Amino acid sequence: MTSNRIRIAADSVCDLPADLATALHVHIIPTYVNIDGLSIPDDGISLNRERFFRELPSMGTLPTTAAPSPGDAESFYRALLDDGATHIVSIHVPANLSGTLNAMRLGAEAVGEDKVTLVDSLQLTFGIGFQVWAAAELAAAGAPLEAILDAIERVRRHTRVYAIIDTMDYLRRSGRVNALIASIGGLLKIKPIVSVGDGDVSSIARLRTWSRAERRLASLTDDQKPLERLAVLHIANRRGAENYLEKIRDLAPSDTLVIETTPTLGTHIGPGSIGVATLNANWRR
Amino acid sequence: MTSHSIGGRALKRLFRAGFNHLSRNVELINRLNVFPVPDGDTGINIFHTLQRACREIEDTESDDFSLIAEGFARGALMGARGNSGTILSQLLKGFADGLDKAPHLTDELFARACQAAVERGYASVSEPTEGTMLTVAREASAALQQREFESSSLREILETLIAAADASLNNTPQLLPILKDAGVVDAGGMGLVCFLRGMRGDRSPLQASTAPIGGKIAAAGAESFGYDVQFLMIGEDLDLMQTRRDLEQLGWSVIVVGDEETIKVHIHVDNPAVPIDYAIQSGATLDDVVVENMALQVRQSLAGAISLQDRRAAASVDVTVIAVADGDGLRAVFHDLNCGAVIRGGAGRNPSAEDFIAAIQRAPAERVIILPNNRNVILAARQAADMIQPMLARVVPTETVLQGINAMLAFGDATDSGADFESTIAQMSAARGEIHSIEITCASRKTRFRDLEINENDFIAIVDGAIRSASADVAGATLDAFAVLHVASLELATIYYGAGVSKFETNQLIRRLTKSIEGLEFEAIYGGQSLYPFLISVE
Repeated sequence: MTSNRIRIAADSVCDLPADLATALHVHIIPTYVNIDGLSIPDDGISLNRERFFRELPSMGTLPTTAAPSPGDAESFYRALLDDGATHIVSIHVPANLSGTLNAMRLGAEAVGEDKVTLVDSLQLTFGIGFQVWAAAELAAAGAPLEAILDAIERVRRHTRVYAIIDTMDYLRRSGRVNALIASIGGLLKIKPIVSVGDGDVSSIARLRTWSRAERRLASLTDDQKPLERLAVLHIANRRGAENYLEKIRDLAPSDTLVIETTPTLGTHIGPGSIGVATLNANWRR
Repeated sequence: MTSHSIGGRALKRLFRAGFNHLSRNVELINRLNVFPVPDGDTGINIFHTLQRACREIEDTESDDFSLIAEGFARGALMGARGNSGTILSQLLKGFADGLDKAPHLTDELFARACQAAVERGYASVSEPTEGTMLTVAREASAALQQREFESSSLREILETLIAAADASLNNTPQLLPILKDAGVVDAGGMGLVCFLRGMRGDRSPLQASTAPIGGKIAAAGAESFGYDVQFLMIGEDLDLMQTRRDLEQLGWSVIVVGDEETIKVHIHVDNPAVPIDYAIQSGATLDDVVVENMALQVRQSLAGAISLQDRRAAASVDVTVIAVADGDGLRAVFHDLNCGAVIRGGAGRNPSAEDFIAAIQRAPAERVIILPNNRNVILAARQAADMIQPMLARVVPTETVLQGINAMLAFGDATDSGADFESTIAQMSAARGEIHSIEITCASRKTRFRDLEINENDFIAIVDGAIRSASADVAGATLDAFAVLHVASLELATIYYGAGVSKFETNQLIRRLTKSIEGLEFEAIYGGQSLYPFLISVE
C-alpha cells in the first residue's frame, strides 16, 4: 500500500469528457438540472445534451440548476476514502457563481476536514478542466499535495476562457451575472465576447455581427500562444465550433478537443454560443 | 487717427440692432441652409448665439467700449450653437481681444480688431472652408485694412465692411460648389451680413431670390425673458403657413418649419400654455414638448457654476459620456449603453456651448467625453470642452448619431478593459469609422445636387455625409444608398425608425431591401427622431 494516494475530484461543470475522466482517475460529482419539477443529475448519462439544448429554446420556463447536496458531497467523499484515498483535492465551479463549493465544504466537514482540500477554480468549463487534468497527472505520478496545489495555481494563471454569446436572452434570465447584463444593455442585439476569470464573467468586447466576433475571438486565442492545450467549446453549435477550429488550425495542438458544455452551464448561456479555453505552455516554467 | 465718441453704451445699442435685424431674417437664413437637407438651422443657431450675447451685456451700464465687446463675446461663446454660431462667437471673441481693452474706439483700432477677429475665426476650425462666413469676414476685414484713416465715422466704417461683405457673400457660390449646385449663397455668411446691416441701422427684411421669405419674424425681446417653448406638431395636412401666421401673433422669436406631417415650432412667450393650447386646438398631435423658463436658466447658469474641484470630489465614476440625440428611442439607446447624460438635439435645437457646460457640470464623473453626433454640433461641443479644461472634457467628433452609438459600444469595451482616458478616446474615435451611416430624409424643396435632380418631398439618402440618391419612393432611395456601399463585405444593417414611422412600415422597408440585397441581416429599432424617417447603421 502506497502512503500517498491523493485523489482528484471535481464537479460536472469542469466538462472533462467521461472517457478522459476515467483515464485520468478523476472523480466527478454531478450538479443538477431542474426541468418541470424533475431534478436530473448532470452526469452526461441521465440528461441527453443534444436533446436538452434542442428543446431549450422552446421551454416555457427556463430550467434551473442546482448544486449537489451536502449529503451527496459527504457520500461522494466517503466512497473515495473507503476506496483507499489518503487525501482528496476537490476542484470546483466558483463560489461566486454556484453553491457547489459550499455543499462540498459541508460534505468535507462530515468526513473530516483534514481529508479534503477544496479548491475554488475561479473558472468555468474547461478552465476548470485544465486544472483538474494537471492535478490528476501529478497525483498519478505520486506528487505531494503542495506540488499539486502549486500546479493548479500555475495552470489557472495561464488559462483563458473566452466565449461569443450568441444571444443575451439566457444570461439575462439567469440573473447570475447582473453586472455583465447591465454593462451590455438590452436595446441593441449585441454579441459580446465574454471572459471568465477570477470567478466571474465579464464582457470584453461588444460586437454586433458574428464574423467580427469570430475574428476577435481568433485574435484573443492567438494572443495565448504557445498553446499546450486548447478546447473549443460550444452549446448546440458543433458546426460553428468546428468551423472556428478550422480558422485557427495553425494555433491548435493536435489533441485539441471540441466540447459541448454541460447543460448546467449551457442553460444559463443558451444555444449557439462558441468559445475557447486555452492553456499557455509556459505554465510549466 | 480719429477718435470717435463711440463708447460702450453706443456699441451695446449697435449689437442689439444687429441682433434684432438677424432675428427678422432667421427664417430666410434657415432656408438658405436647408438645401436640400431640412435640418439646416443656421439662422436659429446664430439667433440663439447672439441672443445669449445680448443677454450677457444687458445689465451692463458701462460706457467702456472694450468691456461691452468682451461681454458680448463672452455671451456668444456661452450661447454658441451650430458651426456658424460657434465661428461667429470666435469672430466676436477675436474682435474683443483685438481692442486690447481700449475704452474708446478709433478706426485704426476697429480695423485691427477686425483682423484679430478673422485670425481667431480661422484658427477655430481645423480645416477652414472658403465660401463660408469665414471668407465673408476675411474679405470684409481686408477692405477695412486698405482704407486711409482720416475723418471716417463709424457709419463709414460699417459701410465699408458691409459693401465688402455683400460682395464676398455673393461670391460664395463660386468658391463652394455645393452652394452653386443648390443656387444659394452661404447661410452663415448671410447671417454675418445680416448682423452687420442691422448695426448700420437696416430694418427691412432681406430679400433673396433663392428662397421665399416666410413672413415677418417679430424681433426678439431680449428685455423680457419669458418662456422658450418648443414642440413638434404631428398630423396630416398641416398648414405650415397658417400655423406660422397664427403663432407669430402669440409670441416672439417665432420659428415654424416643417411640412404637412411634421411642424417644428420654436416660440418665446409670456405664457407657455398659449402656443401649446393653440397647437392642440388645431388637431395636431404634440411631441417633444420642451418648456424652458429663460429667466430661471440665466440664474441657474450663474448659480450652477459649481467649482470643478467640488464636482470632482463628489464624482462617482471616473469617466462618463455626454451624448446629443434627437428622439426618445435614440436617447433610450444611449442610456441603455450607460451614457451618463443625453442632451436633446435635432433640428432647430442644436445644443449650445452653454448647454454642454451645464451638462458637464452636472455629470457625476471626474472626466467627460462628449459625443456631438452631428456635424453641426461638433464645434459647439469643442468650445465647451475648451472652456472647461481639455484635461477634464474631451470631444469625440461623431458626425452622425449612428457613429455615436458605435462609439458608445467602444466606450463600454474600453471601460471594461480598464483603459485610460486617452486610449478610451482613441478607441471611441476609431469606432466612428467602423460603420457606414445612411440617413434618409425628405427634401424640403426642389433642387439639384451634382448629377441628382431632387424634387420637393423626395426621399434623399445621405451616405457617410454625402447625398447619394433621391427618389419619390423611400425604398428606392434606400436601395440606391446600399448600392453605393460594398454590400458583399457587410453583415448587419440596424434601422432606427423615426417619429411618425411605424414598426410595420419599417418591416415593409426591410422586406423590400431583403429581396434585393443578399446576405445582409436587418434589425429594426425605434429611434423616434424627427425629420429622418430612417437612420441606418451598416457594418
